Amino acid sequence: MRKMHLTNAAGRDATVDFVGLKTAKGPRLGLPDRDVRFRRYLAAAEGGLHDGLVERLGDEEYGEALVNGDPEVDLEAVGRAIGDTNQVYLSAEGDVLHAPPEVVEVILGPDGQEQERRDPKDEPANVNEELPIRWSKRRIPRPELIRRFVISRTLQVRHYDGLTYDYLHGMAKDLDSADEVALVGAGVTGNKPLIFQQNGTPWRAFLEGRVDGERYMLLLHLSNLELRRPAPKDEGASS
Amino acid sequence: MARTIMVERDGTVSSFAFKKVDRSKLYGRKRRLPLDPDGETCTRAALTDDGSLILLQGMVAQGYFDDGGCWIPHGDLVGVDADGEVVPERPSTLGRPVPLEGPFEPRVLLDVRVQSVYALEAEEIDDALVADLSAGRIFRLPFSYRSDYKQDDAFLVAGMDDGLYALVGQSVEPEWCSPQELPVIEDADDDLDDELDFEMF
Repeated sequence: MRKMHLTNAAGRDATVDFVGLKTAKGPRLGLPDRDVRFRRYLAAAEGGLHDGLVERLGDEEYGEALVNGDPEVDLEAVGRAIGDTNQVYLSAEGDVLHAPPEVVEVILGPDGQEQERRDPKDEPANVNEELPIRWSKRRIPRPELIRRFVISRTLQVRHYDGLTYDYLHGMAKDLDSADEVALVGAGVTGNKPLIFQQNGTPWRAFLEGRVDGERYMLLLHLSNLELRRPAPKDEGASS
Repeated sequence: MARTIMVERDGTVSSFAFKKVDRSKLYGRKRRLPLDPDGETCTRAALTDDGSLILLQGMVAQGYFDDGGCWIPHGDLVGVDADGEVVPERPSTLGRPVPLEGPFEPRVLLDVRVQSVYALEAEEIDDALVADLSAGRIFRLPFSYRSDYKQDDAFLVAGMDDGLYALVGQSVEPEWCSPQELPVIEDADDDLDDELDFEMF
C-alpha cells in the first residue's frame, strides 16, 4: 500500500493510503486446447540485417539473392529464445559504450520542430514528502471536469485507522455535497503537478468525493491532457 | 473512404468523422537523446543476460509458442477468457450504426480509464442529440477500432470548447470504504511509470 501526505480544505494534513484502480483483464490470445506463451526470439543475426547483407553480398540490390537462397537466415542463431536483456548504448560507430552516455533533452513543439536543447533535470517524486499535497483554491463542478480534462488514471485514497477514516470521510462529504472536485497539487502553494516517482509523469490531480451514509469513496483523478483540439496550424503540421 | 463513428438513438442515425487527439499535438513533447563521446547520437541496443549477444533493431521478433516450442501462426490464435473459454471476435464498430446509451451521470465517465480521445466532426447529426450534448449530457457507445476479442466503451461528450469528442476506455470499479473494516491491502503496482512529460498550464 502506497502512502500519500495530504491536506484537507482546512489545511490539516495526514498521511493516508492509496491504490491505483485498474481495469478488468480482457480476453487474451491463445488456443482452446493447449497453453501458449508469448515470447521474444531472435529473428535475424547481425549479418542478416541490411548492412550485413550489403557487406556480404556486395550489392544494395540483393533481392534476387533473397529469392534464390536464404542468405539472411543464420540457421545456427535464428529462433533462439530471448529472455531478459540489459540496455546498452552503441556509439555512432557501433561500439558499445562502457560508461553512461551524456544525455541531452530535446524539446519539440506541437508542429514537431525542435525548439530547445537543454541538460535534463531529475524531477523527484512529491506525493509523500514533508510538504503535503495541498488543496488549491480552485474547485470545479463535477460535470465540468469531464468536459475540460481527460482522466487517464484514478487512484483511490483510503483510511487505515479510525482517525484517518473521519478525516477522509469528511473530505468526501464536503466535495460530494457540493458536486465539485478540488484541484490539488504539490509544493508550498499546491500549484505543482503530482509526480509519483522520480522523473515520472507530472499529473494534474482532482479530488472527488462520494458518500453513502457512513461509506465513502475519495478518488484522485489524474490528467495530463485537456479536452480541446490542437490549434489548426499545429494540427495540420503534425498530421 | 474514411470510416466514421455512427450512432443510433431513437431510430435516428448520426455519423462523425474522427481524428485522434494526443498530447504531442497539443503541447509538443520532450525526448532524451544519449550522446557518445564525440557528441553523436547513440543507438540503443539490448545485451542478453548471458552477455553473448547484442541485439540491434530488427533482430528480435515476438510470437506465441506452445510448450513444445512450436511457433503458433497468428491466424490460429483465438480470444480466450480467464476460464480458458473461447470468446467470439467482435467486428469493428466503425462504419456501422451502434446503439447510443444514456444520458449518464458525470461519475460514470469519471470511473473510466480513458485511453484514447478522438475529436469528432459531425457529418450527419440528430438535432436532439446536439441539444443534449450541448447541455452537458454524456452518452455511451460500444467501440472497437478494428475487429477484436475485447470491446471498449466510448463516451460522447461536448467539451467546454463546444467541440465534440469520443473518449474511449474501460471502466474501473472503486470500492466503498466503511469505518467497520479496514480496506483490503492490494498490490500497488500503479502503472504510473510511463515517460510522458507534461507542462499543462
